[in-house]
Amino acid sequence: MMKRFLTLLVALMLAGPVLAQNGPLRLTITDGVIEPITFAVPSFEAETAAAQQVASDISRLVVQDLAGTGLFREVPATAFISQVSSFAQPVAFADWRAINSQALVVGAVTVNGDQLAVKFRLYDVFSGQELGQGLQFAGTTAGWRRMGHKVADAVYSRITGEGGYFDSRVVFVSESGPKDNRQKRLGIMDFDGANVQFLTDSSSIVLAPRFSPNGDRVLYTSFESGFPRINVINVATVGRQQLQTAPGEMAFSPRFSRDGAQVIYSLSNGGNTDIYRTNLGTGQHVRLTSAPSIETAPSLSPDGSQIVFESDRSGNQQLYVMSANGGEARRISFGEGRYGTPVWSPRGDLVAFTKQNAGRFHIGVMRLDGSEERLLTSSFLDEGPTWSPNGRVIMFSRETQGAGGTSSMYSVDISGRNLKAVPVQGGASDPSWGPLQP
Amino acid sequence: MATPGTIISGIGHVGLIGWLIVGWGLTSEPLQIQTMDVSVISGEEFEQMRARTTPEPGTAEPTAPVPPIVDEAPPPPPAEEDPPQVASPPEPVEPPVEEAPPPEAPPALPETEVTVAPPVEPAPPVAPPPTPDVEVSETPTPPQAPTVASTISEPPAPDARVDDIVREEVVPDDSADAEVIAEEQEATAPEETTTAIVIEDLAPSTSVRPSTRPSRPTPPEPTQTAQQDTPTTTTEPQANEEDVSAALEAALGAADAPAIAAGPPMTGAERDSFRVSVNRCWNVDPGSVAARVTVEVGFSLDRSGRVEGNEVQLLSSDGDQSATNTAFEAARRAILRCQSGGYQLPADKYDQWRDVVITFDPSGMRLR
Repeated sequence: MMKRFLTLLVALMLAGPVLAQNGPLRLTITDGVIEPITFAVPSFEAETAAAQQVASDISRLVVQDLAGTGLFREVPATAFISQVSSFAQPVAFADWRAINSQALVVGAVTVNGDQLAVKFRLYDVFSGQELGQGLQFAGTTAGWRRMGHKVADAVYSRITGEGGYFDSRVVFVSESGPKDNRQKRLGIMDFDGANVQFLTDSSSIVLAPRFSPNGDRVLYTSFESGFPRINVINVATVGRQQLQTAPGEMAFSPRFSRDGAQVIYSLSNGGNTDIYRTNLGTGQHVRLTSAPSIETAPSLSPDGSQIVFESDRSGNQQLYVMSANGGEARRISFGEGRYGTPVWSPRGDLVAFTKQNAGRFHIGVMRLDGSEERLLTSSFLDEGPTWSPNGRVIMFSRETQGAGGTSSMYSVDISGRNLKAVPVQGGASDPSWGPLQP
Repeated sequence: MATPGTIISGIGHVGLIGWLIVGWGLTSEPLQIQTMDVSVISGEEFEQMRARTTPEPGTAEPTAPVPPIVDEAPPPPPAEEDPPQVASPPEPVEPPVEEAPPPEAPPALPETEVTVAPPVEPAPPVAPPPTPDVEVSETPTPPQAPTVASTISEPPAPDARVDDIVREEVVPDDSADAEVIAEEQEATAPEETTTAIVIEDLAPSTSVRPSTRPSRPTPPEPTQTAQQDTPTTTTEPQANEEDVSAALEAALGAADAPAIAAGPPMTGAERDSFRVSVNRCWNVDPGSVAARVTVEVGFSLDRSGRVEGNEVQLLSSDGDQSATNTAFEAARRAILRCQSGGYQLPADKYDQWRDVVITFDPSGMRLR
């Protein structure tokens, strides 16, 4: 008996070390590749005869949205081995793996009268699993583009882990006419340049429109009275309201606070420009800076606790950060050239800005301590960055050189990749990206 | 005048001088012999030898060219063939590896997720039954630990013989049938196995063990006794002993499997090769939040180098939930996408790479 226990003991002692030495193979990988994720979107199934065209259109829009990010690459339909003729049809993953499609989007569209319903499913081809669950959107046929954007947003979000930005709108200044007599009015469009509508006419100059946090209103600077004044316009009703200022004062560069109840802006009086905050409900003003220099272009942090702005208090135009209630400011930009129009990222980790140096303009980003500055663009004139709702893309104005130069809007990924023009009829500048629509 | 001694001396000297002269010439002969060896090789043979030897550099040394050199030396035929056999490793033979067949995959998808939302609102996914969907090709699944363990079983352990004995004990355990056998073995068998291992292990610790020594030689018997031994013990009255023996077997069995598993360690090149093959499928989006998250994932490979069940598990992460999920998905995609027909890994070291843990650290790829 004793022997057996001893044997057991010894056996266990022997087994221990052996087991220990047989651990898993451990590797560390630090270098990957940077390339678009391949995906396939077979044309959505039309579950009713009337849905044929819309199904095809929505499918193409989803592809366009995803491929337009630069993060995805479509596997063309000509490469498909198997076709998806039914939404409920089992997926032959091997066929999609064979054409190296990493993601597969399958959808179906139903049209009854003017009612439209779109449903889809997203599959991770190589794991043979569905990513998330199927979703269905319902609306009217007139809103088919929004439905397509919604599907693309969901796909984007599930694969990247970040919020989408396709079902969002941009307010901008639409420009027409020669450079010396340019007509400007407020326009609003889908993020991809579609569905342009105008909020004002061209009777007076308008500048720097800014969306409210929930997208229901727009702030902008108007020269209707001959002096710059800040107006608030309701997007749905196009009703306007003007921010009251004293005679002789010039107000400009406004932005909403995070709750949409207040406005921070620059007010110029007697040759001095400072930053103010006004409550839209009560009209109460609070002065946030009091330096003899020019302080302007304020932008609130996502949590509303801080403001980044530009100032020439150091003798050169630089970026500063201060409390949302004013007070001491710290400089965050120290590079060569001049920095302006800072905008705090929705993620809160970066500030986008316009930089002028050596005769060129750049759109760039930096961290809040001024580190890791990266210039994303360079041209004769790039300015006025605005963030996509997910903080992934920056849209800005670019003007070409010369008397015949025109303004247009561009977007660029924060990695500096995927720089492309936003297709809009005529000239366009001063974009402000609104939130994702509900 | 010339005394006889002088004459003898003169003759002796003359003889000595003559011998010296002649002797030097004779001594040179051996030198000639040495040169002879070199020159003896015929031109043809030399050419043949050159012809044979020239190809050598390309491949391994084992090849044939040797014979001519010695001329008379016996032709070395058989020995040459041996090396190639040794070099035979390439055969490893990984049979199946195909995966194509299972295309149709998932059963029926319940239409489910039909939440009707007001225009534009993403309806919450009503769909309850997420049908599993395609369980892609599951490859062979042949290797089973127990059998392998019993056969190979040569962990780097020092005492080979002793180990063998122990193992055999383990294997047969399963068959409790053998109970029939006599009781004697109970005593002897355990002693064998135990003595072999126990004694050696305990020996260093407790020096005074001579008394038990004698019992050791008695059981030179083969493994069978050992095997039967266990059952006999079981038959014994006390249930405790059964438990003990079961635990023992389990312990030894467990030790056995991994021991076999150990095998030769993977070389740096083999590890690098594996790493690179996953690298090229790890797609990092440097602008994403997930690019700031390091994840550690684990999975098992079958003998063909494919991920078993396509299952990859998240072991740890240093990011928030959302970023972690994205980083994990990217890691999983990399592992599954690049396995194609199976990762190329040394078959004889299967137990070294059967279980894998990979840390995906994108810190070097973040935007700067």
